[in-house]
Amino acid sequence: MKRQISAPRGLWFIAVPGIALVVMPVLAVVWRTNYANFWTSISSESSRVALLLSLRTSIMATVLALIFGTPLAWLLANRQFRGRLFLRALCVLPMVLPPVVGGVALLFAFGRRSPIGGALDDWFGIQLAFTQTAAVLAQFFVAAPFFIVVMEAAFEQVDQRIVGTARTFGAGPWRTFLTVTLALVRPSLIAGVALTWARALGEFGATIAFAGNTPGKTQTVPLAVYSQLESGGDDALALSVLMIIVSLAVLIGLRSSWISVLKRGGA
Amino acid sequence: MSIKIDCLLERNNFKLDVQLEVEPRSVLAITGENGSGKTSTLDMISGLLACTEGKILLNDKVFDDATTGEFLQPEFRGVSTVFQGGSLFNHLSVTRNITFGRGIALKDTSRFHEVVAQFNLESLLSHKPSTLSGGQRQRVALARAFLAPSEVLLLDEPTTSLDVNSREGVIKTMQNFFKTYDGVVILVSHDGAEIAELATQVAKIEVSRGKTTEAKLRA
Repeated sequence: MKRQISAPRGLWFIAVPGIALVVMPVLAVVWRTNYANFWTSISSESSRVALLLSLRTSIMATVLALIFGTPLAWLLANRQFRGRLFLRALCVLPMVLPPVVGGVALLFAFGRRSPIGGALDDWFGIQLAFTQTAAVLAQFFVAAPFFIVVMEAAFEQVDQRIVGTARTFGAGPWRTFLTVTLALVRPSLIAGVALTWARALGEFGATIAFAGNTPGKTQTVPLAVYSQLESGGDDALALSVLMIIVSLAVLIGLRSSWISVLKRGGA
Repeated sequence: MSIKIDCLLERNNFKLDVQLEVEPRSVLAITGENGSGKTSTLDMISGLLACTEGKILLNDKVFDDATTGEFLQPEFRGVSTVFQGGSLFNHLSVTRNITFGRGIALKDTSRFHEVVAQFNLESLLSHKPSTLSGGQRQRVALARAFLAPSEVLLLDEPTTSLDVNSREGVIKTMQNFFKTYDGVVILVSHDGAEIAELATQVAKIEVSRGKTTEAKLRA
């Protein structure tokens, strides 16, 4: 008999099937992977190219989210302005939108036949769609909301007395932001970056619609898994296992910070 | 250096009407029940809150004027603050907390060491505030406010979190500091003994509770 206040009976019986639904597919992939060829699969030319591309594009997307998301999250948390709720809804929209719809939307906004994409091409010779830049933008589109949501919650939690104290002792708004506020939100910042990066790394739908699936150019790891699955290779499973390991590592490595961030009320 | 406040703060169901003038070298203690607007009064002086109507002047320097729309940002007011709980920067060492902002020019000067010694902080200088007790944190906050040059000093219940032993020493230190301080000190306090030991004048916020709470401070 555990010496603690009793829980409603039978919770485990309901919870376990739910966990199983998540765990079984993961186990199935881990089970079916051919580990004799694991290293060969991971280091094959096509896998290596996809891995490097994924790493590069996901880091760039995360950096963009950091640069543009931080000021936006601060404004959403600290300033009352017209259309604030609408702007926040817009920022979070990609989280609930099917990513492929996001990709199609990006294509219509920046594709060569769109006004913006056409102008970029005519004036500067810049083509976005179906390039590596498009892969970065697609990942940014889908992943940045995670960063914004986490950081908005973090900025809302900042003790305004401490920020105010910094101001009364002579630090201007920028200095206070850089030396005090950012230090106060650092745990959330790290968790937000990690979640955003993990989401960008796993991006599929928006990338395939806006950037295409060209090996060596826009074929990131999730796209490579999909392509190689169609051709029935072991590589797909090996890459899947790798993605599972990376995602789990990120979440476990940051468990304390992202759990507390989500507990404090993400959205 | 006299500070002149004639302003009104309005919020949902709360009206705070402050009219006061404090001469330099005096210590005004503000008392009043919880929620009567003591801290809000300090916030209007330091620039963390804007008046709804009226104005705040320090000599001829306009801090806040609702009519002309002037509002001097807190970092230009020369107002040092000790808020409840100390409002320390937990990511910075005690030294960097004490010399934050205007105090930075005084780092490692004799004045710095004097203040550090007065508040008994020599052994704690390299510590992070999160490792300190409530009383130690409060002493750091006071040291920071005393070191940084200022024209107005705002203290929100400065000795509440101190234990009996350190309280006596801190009160002494404050008394000594006030003797040579040329600015205005405004102190929020519940503690009759503290007020008797520190303040040169006392003002109570009178509250009338109706549909809206109306608070009045005159000094």
